Amino acid sequence: MATIRAHGIASQLPSGFEAKIFVRDVPVGVAHAVAQFATFPLPDDVGDFGSGAVSLMGPVDVYATLFEYGPESLGTVLFARQGRPSPLSPGDFSPTVLRRGVPGQSGTQWFFTEAGRPFSFYAVLGSHLQRALLVPRVNTLLASLTLSPPAPQTPSDRVAWN
Amino acid sequence: MIALVVVSTFLVLLLGVLVAGLLRSHADILRSLHELGVGVGDPTALPREDRAGAPPGGPALGPAPAIAGLTPSGDARAFAPTNSDRLTLLGFLSSGCTSCAGFWQALQQPEDLQLPQGTRVVIVTKGPELEIPAQVRSLSTGRVPVIMSSEAWHDYQVPGSPFFVLIDGASARKVGQGVAGHVSQLIDLVHRARFDERNGDGAQSAETALDGPEREAAADHVLRAAGILPGHPSLYPRTLDDVFPDRRAG
Repeated sequence: MATIRAHGIASQLPSGFEAKIFVRDVPVGVAHAVAQFATFPLPDDVGDFGSGAVSLMGPVDVYATLFEYGPESLGTVLFARQGRPSPLSPGDFSPTVLRRGVPGQSGTQWFFTEAGRPFSFYAVLGSHLQRALLVPRVNTLLASLTLSPPAPQTPSDRVAWN
Repeated sequence: MIALVVVSTFLVLLLGVLVAGLLRSHADILRSLHELGVGVGDPTALPREDRAGAPPGGPALGPAPAIAGLTPSGDARAFAPTNSDRLTLLGFLSSGCTSCAGFWQALQQPEDLQLPQGTRVVIVTKGPELEIPAQVRSLSTGRVPVIMSSEAWHDYQVPGSPFFVLIDGASARKVGQGVAGHVSQLIDLVHRARFDERNGDGAQSAETALDGPEREAAADHVLRAAGILPGHPSLYPRTLDDVFPDRRAG
């Protein structure tokens, strides 16, 4: 069982999953960690929430994104939930939740705070009809995640004012 | 006297039945042993797994474990070679080995390698503790995944770089592995591994049953493996002697 770890996010990946954990290079502002998980070959150029990947899913595939927001989101109503959602049930998934409406698929999205960091967890099932089979795979993935508190800023990381 | 003859005949018949029963029981035991693959006696009899076709991949190269590590830019990447039916070519390279230089360039242009259609290419270096990430980053173009993982080198028992492993996602097994000095040798290794695998698992007969574009693609693959590329003179015969060279010799 492979373990993936970067930017304060770790997962002992369930069998058949591959993953990426990265921080995008952005010209303006600060980007935060994004983790992507898939039970199918994950292309290198995928949008944060799976554009470019979900169209490649088969009916028994699962895709998920764990997206970190900035510390300014802490304490807001949207992120009031403490801890990740688990376990999810088939009723939590709906075709209307999809960010990209691929026919036959369904999704779920949750906002929460864990380890002092605001996150969104977004998951897509390859086939809504197969949700009873696929949701346990999402739950196994959720249970495999370890989220660490944000790393303390070092003096060199801080903006220096003249 | 008559009674003695009758009794003797009865005893002979009884013994004959007993011997026939014993022979039949013996034959049943031998048949069962053959079916279990530990047959004795008839050396031409095949064990059951041989009749059904050897396991894909032929002699056990073993399963293909997942790979997880860091990218040269410090992100993380995990790769599961068995989550699709596609082939995956793992190139275990180092930033410092001179014989790796050509492979760094070639593997990041996989469309020029004439690999079987849909083959994924992944480059694996040792982890950041044994490599220089900045050097690996300078060699990476971002076109194929580059994963830094000493654990993967251990899992795949890599003796040194460059080293290559071909994985068949459908069977979740390694189907070929070895060392190549040049890119052309690597391509030859890939095609030979594919050929051996197909012969081993009986897929050759399935291939001959292909039709339409799949049959055309399979024929192209065999021709490429034999070194017959587009424009090869043998594809454009001008006379019958070009088609039947033996006739000219005769």
